[in-house]
Amino acid sequence: MSSEKLKSSIDKVLRDESDVRDASSGYVREFPYERDDEAQVTRREFCNFLFLTSTAFSVSTAAFAAKSAYDSRTEKQFYPARVEGAGELKPGESLNFTYPGKEDTAIMVRNHDGTYRAFGQKCTHLSCPVHYSKANDRLECPCHEGGFDARTGAVLYGPPPRPLDLIELEIHNGEIFATGRKVRGNES
Amino acid sequence: MRQKNTSDHRTGSRPQTRGRTAVWQARVSLLIMINLAQMWILSAAIEAALANEHKQLWPLVIASVLCWAIALSLILWWKPSSRPGASGRQ
Repeated sequence: MSSEKLKSSIDKVLRDESDVRDASSGYVREFPYERDDEAQVTRREFCNFLFLTSTAFSVSTAAFAAKSAYDSRTEKQFYPARVEGAGELKPGESLNFTYPGKEDTAIMVRNHDGTYRAFGQKCTHLSCPVHYSKANDRLECPCHEGGFDARTGAVLYGPPPRPLDLIELEIHNGEIFATGRKVRGNES
Repeated sequence: MRQKNTSDHRTGSRPQTRGRTAVWQARVSLLIMINLAQMWILSAAIEAALANEHKQLWPLVIASVLCWAIALSLILWWKPSSRPGASGRQ
């Protein structure tokens, strides 16, 4: 490279740096950082960062597995709870409710034959809420296009690996009560 | 990433410097691959937990911890050998 070319290249780099400094000068008070320091991320620091990320991944995986195993072994106590508004459902309609806790969302469907079915509303793929499609008479997950049978909760198509949680129902004096929630595996 | 190497001109040991650079690049590459593997393991663990496949979880946890142990060994022991007169941050 000739000396003139080299000189012009150096000038260009310095000019660019100056342009960036001018452009960002108004924000330096709000976001104080040193460009020189920022450019000096050493390989050692980068390796340490990668190691910390590795630690975070390991801890996350272990914590997730431990919580999942704990939840599956814990026996939950269920109490009957009246499902408000279930009596007014017409065949082919659905109703959202929560059972047993307020965070445990569920969906009740009154099938065309007049029977009631209720399932956990979280898709078993990645926990998106499912909705009842009256036209197709099935429960559908809009996130990854999973489909469940509206009578059994079994997987019809898509990525979900197991059926929806089953909410057990009982009818007393014309009122509908949820009495239990069953987490099902992929046996069906 | 920028490397400050202040000792090249003093020692004149260019092949050794290139060796050190190769070792550092290998470390970074291995750590990145380990991170990618652990990311995949974490997503597989989440899917297995949501599918109630608890038997798959513990092998995944063991694999993730194994990856972490390899990363730890890379950080602690798998370093370029130090040489007399070398200075400056790597």
